[in-house]
Amino acid sequence: MSAESDMEYSDNDGDDYDYYGEQDDCDMEAVDRTKSDPEYFLYTCLKVEEVEKLLNESIELLSNSLQITPSLAKVTLHAYEWNAQEIINKYKENANEVLVYSRVKSRAPVTQGGSSRSSCAVCANTPPIHKYSALACGHYFCNDCWAMHFEVQIMQGVSNTILCMAQDCELRAPEDFVLSHVTKPMLRDRYQQFMFKDHVKSHPELRFCPGPNCQWIFRAWVREGARRVECQGCELLTCFSCGAPHHAPTDCPTIRRWLTKCADDSETANYISAHTKDCPKCQICIEKNGGCNHMQCGACRHDFCWVCLGDWKSHGSEYYECSRYKEDPNLSSDSQHAQAREALKKYLHYYERWENHARSLKLEEQTLACLKSRINQKVMAGEGTWIDWQYLWDSAKLLKRCRYTLQYTYPYAYYMDNGPRKELFEYQQAQLEAEIENLSWKVERAETTDRGDLENQMDIAEKRRTTLLKDFLEFHTTSASSSKV
Amino acid sequence: MANIAAKRIKREFKEVMKSEEVAGGTIKLELVNDSWTELQGEIAGPPDTPYEGGTFLLEIKVPETYPFNPPKIRFMTKIWHPNVSSVTGAICLDILKDQWAAALTLRTVLLSIQALLSAAEPNDPQDAVVAKQYREDIQLFNLTARHWTNAYAGGPTVIWEFNQKVQVLQDMGVDEDQARVALSTFDWGLERATEHLFS
Repeated sequence: MSAESDMEYSDNDGDDYDYYGEQDDCDMEAVDRTKSDPEYFLYTCLKVEEVEKLLNESIELLSNSLQITPSLAKVTLHAYEWNAQEIINKYKENANEVLVYSRVKSRAPVTQGGSSRSSCAVCANTPPIHKYSALACGHYFCNDCWAMHFEVQIMQGVSNTILCMAQDCELRAPEDFVLSHVTKPMLRDRYQQFMFKDHVKSHPELRFCPGPNCQWIFRAWVREGARRVECQGCELLTCFSCGAPHHAPTDCPTIRRWLTKCADDSETANYISAHTKDCPKCQICIEKNGGCNHMQCGACRHDFCWVCLGDWKSHGSEYYECSRYKEDPNLSSDSQHAQAREALKKYLHYYERWENHARSLKLEEQTLACLKSRINQKVMAGEGTWIDWQYLWDSAKLLKRCRYTLQYTYPYAYYMDNGPRKELFEYQQAQLEAEIENLSWKVERAETTDRGDLENQMDIAEKRRTTLLKDFLEFHTTSASSSKV
Repeated sequence: MANIAAKRIKREFKEVMKSEEVAGGTIKLELVNDSWTELQGEIAGPPDTPYEGGTFLLEIKVPETYPFNPPKIRFMTKIWHPNVSSVTGAICLDILKDQWAAALTLRTVLLSIQALLSAAEPNDPQDAVVAKQYREDIQLFNLTARHWTNAYAGGPTVIWEFNQKVQVLQDMGVDEDQARVALSTFDWGLERATEHLFS
């Protein structure tokens, strides 16, 4: 945690939580665990109420130290990503600037008479003068219109960023202003819910667990690199930095590229490019469906060579001439085809392995469930206790963890540049894969395998996994390479 | 229909009718039904643009939650413009989306759409094909837009070469609109347009 955020919480007696987070012995533990587990990451899982308390503490702190309303404190905290200390400093320097930046005050001076209070510009009604209200910008509208405006916005899921109704006005309506106009309890609830979601999303230390219907919220203090957080509720592994499924050793931008690549059908274009060519005479698109390179166009009956696209007549028997000719860099159209074909082959190689491990993971999920019931049966039948069979359970869990990492090594390798580092990576990857398959084989036959043998295999597989992560997990590489040099 | 919406539309309708633009003939507004939920707008193509001399019809649908949500507006007259779909007439304009404010009126919206015809935003396109032509060959874009204005909006400039090409495709049994879209898309290359239509 930075010194700044340290200050942020230090005068907060009630906040035991952070207090412990700052403890020295806790840091020591972190250092130790970093050694044994390259993915170790300090984080906590919080319930909604705990997060509410956390947010309220920041809000209270700010509103007390600056003497502003909690509602205003919320707006500024949202705008400044919950950095209370920064707000306090800047506010003392230039309060106006903070309010303008948070969009609760106009930069330009308020124009009097910009909007009259004789009739409402939105509904064209003429309510009595006390039934108008305005934000700091001075754009007056009747209270009924404000209420309707907020209702429409809340129903569309907007909360923190509801704007003034005037044209080109960027001012945001703070919570107290909104709630003073919204009376329906259902809408007020919705507004508060969206507000909370918005606050969590804008808070750099917080992230919702992306699991379906999961109510847990992660809290951590670093937001870069592949950071593993496991949900206490649904056990989903998530990357704290980007919110995607956990993806070590691949980093966040790479996994995003990989997942989009897998999701869209951009590869279709590559397929067409790799498996088809245009007839050199009539330009019709031809898919090669046989082995022979002597092609005859189905449309114009032109005979040509698939490899060099030259007229077949000039070929005669000199087939090998042609294969040498193909390497000529001047034949750009052909080399484009070749490149596309290569790219497709490369992508498929990595994608198939990635998919395969994902499928294996699902199957091993079933193995895990089977194993649990089998252990239960054994325990019920009096063949030892849970503790005796615990190692089986552990081995299956470990297998899952190893396979998970292995799956995410493939996108990493796909985007790696060729060179010794890639060779090293692929060597380690192959080693890991071999040991995982060994382990998987032994886990499936766990009851007949020797316990010592299985535990030995577990140890080897985990060692391979941690070695690979230690060498290639991005934020560790930087420190590791600098210490080696 | 909600009370506010109908009331607002009635007032705005009067406002447009009294405006100098209606007097000058550059915009028009008509009712389509009695419930004030649907209107038809008309804007004149601004001078010194390829749309000059054309009149463009707009379909205006007023949502229940108007004016807290924007009206839904699309071109009924076909138009060749980067921010308007050449197929559906859908308009890409910020004030019809997230920049809508309840204090805006139909008059300001119609004037904004007219302004859009004078100053396209090719970097925020609704129709990617049109926007590409606009960025890469502005002269061809201007000619194409002028031709569309002539064909659909009653614009005065006839471009014979384009008309002939459309006619060639029509003689081959292609629907006129489809022929024009294909030719415009392929920069008036008759061969490529034909290939596209018959592949």
